[in-house]
Amino acid sequence: MIDPAPGYRRASVWLAALGLPILLALASTTHAAPPAPVQSPIQSFNIDFAVPRPVEETTALAIQRDYSQAWQSLVAALEENRAEMLDENFTGGARQQWQDAIHAQQKNGLSRRIVDHGHQVRVRFYSLDGSALEAIDTADLEIQYREGSKLLSSERIQAHYLLLLTPAESSWKVRILQEIPPS
Amino acid sequence: MNSLRRSLFLFFFCASGFCWAQLQVAGPLQAGSVATLQAPGSGSTTLYLFGPGGASKRPVQRGAIALSADELKTAGRYTAILDGSSTSFFVHAAKLEAISFIARPSRVPATASGAVLGSAFLFDRFQNLVLTPAPVSFRLAVEGTPGEERSVSAKDGVAWVQLNSGRRSGPAQFIAGSGEVRVRRIVQQVAADPCSLRMSARRAPDGNILVETTPIQDCSGNAVPDGTIVTFASVDAAGRSTVDARIKRGFARAELPASHSATLSVAAGVVLGNEIHWGGGQ
Repeated sequence: MIDPAPGYRRASVWLAALGLPILLALASTTHAAPPAPVQSPIQSFNIDFAVPRPVEETTALAIQRDYSQAWQSLVAALEENRAEMLDENFTGGARQQWQDAIHAQQKNGLSRRIVDHGHQVRVRFYSLDGSALEAIDTADLEIQYREGSKLLSSERIQAHYLLLLTPAESSWKVRILQEIPPS
Repeated sequence: MNSLRRSLFLFFFCASGFCWAQLQVAGPLQAGSVATLQAPGSGSTTLYLFGPGGASKRPVQRGAIALSADELKTAGRYTAILDGSSTSFFVHAAKLEAISFIARPSRVPATASGAVLGSAFLFDRFQNLVLTPAPVSFRLAVEGTPGEERSVSAKDGVAWVQLNSGRRSGPAQFIAGSGEVRVRRIVQQVAADPCSLRMSARRAPDGNILVETTPIQDCSGNAVPDGTIVTFASVDAAGRSTVDARIKRGFARAELPASHSATLSVAAGVVLGNEIHWGGGQ
């Protein structure tokens, strides 16, 4: 094995020491990737103000799980233009409305990429018979509007959604997901 | 000279991104109504419109761009994009045209406190939830009775009520209404538990004991439905005998084993009736 000259070895160490941070800095400026989305989009789920009936803890957990899945499927469906992805977590008007949006996107070669930075949900109404739950969701979203692979526009918004969930056989489904202006 | 100055100003103004602010839609907008998107400048370009119920792309002429009622029928946020600049605007629900009314239960005992629940969700004709506060009236009544009525204000598109069931049994109309819109459900009010259950006893030709109730009614005078189980019991020196009988045409009757001396009792559900000491000439 040939041992490189000590001077050459010293120069290599300096080069590595100086070059690595520069390369890292360059990489971070050229690839300004959006912050990674949170794993479960639901950051808080407040049931303190539910009327006329309090929400049981197990019900709250089930709703958080199902609503979280609903958003994950909506984000994927709008990006990939796959309307059938909504079947599992959406029903009624909400499913129809977002499926229409996806079909229209598909027809026009458009798509929406949503980077979900989290939701804060406050339950406002839980029916006495447990058949409906209404809440306000404040969502931090980054939406990219695309035509094919071309980015048309993007915006970061704090959106307020009024949502209505109803229980199905084994899960809660989103029946209404209507964005409302900030109050 | 002036026009050159204006052109230079516009060039630097737009180059710095301030032209974005000029792309706008005058609001407030209602679902299913037409709107105009104001886009500065002239010439043809492509409009992209993303909404909660659609997404479109079409060639337009800059200036006043018409957005059709069909494009704006879903309530929520819309984003219009023109040459890389964009604007967002909200479409609100149109006027109330439908009520989704959940009434529970479908069958309820008479005079039960807070037993009838109703939730009304207010929608426009495009299935958008109508969020403007609106009075909603609820009425529960069997025909020919005053029933119970309450008016509440809808909040976030929902109004709810909890009512007592009426005194009379029969099909009660449970109506939710707001403005011209009315929705009706039927809640079957049935007799509550029997009230003052009474029976009489006599000897049958074969020596057994025939027991028979008076007409079985709840405390409001409603006949307890046929098919309801009534239990007759006899306790004597030989032990205890019970017979379950169903109410038929308002009465329940049964035959208990012959006995010289027994204590007879009757019950329906949790309600106990009178006792008869059988024997010694009774």
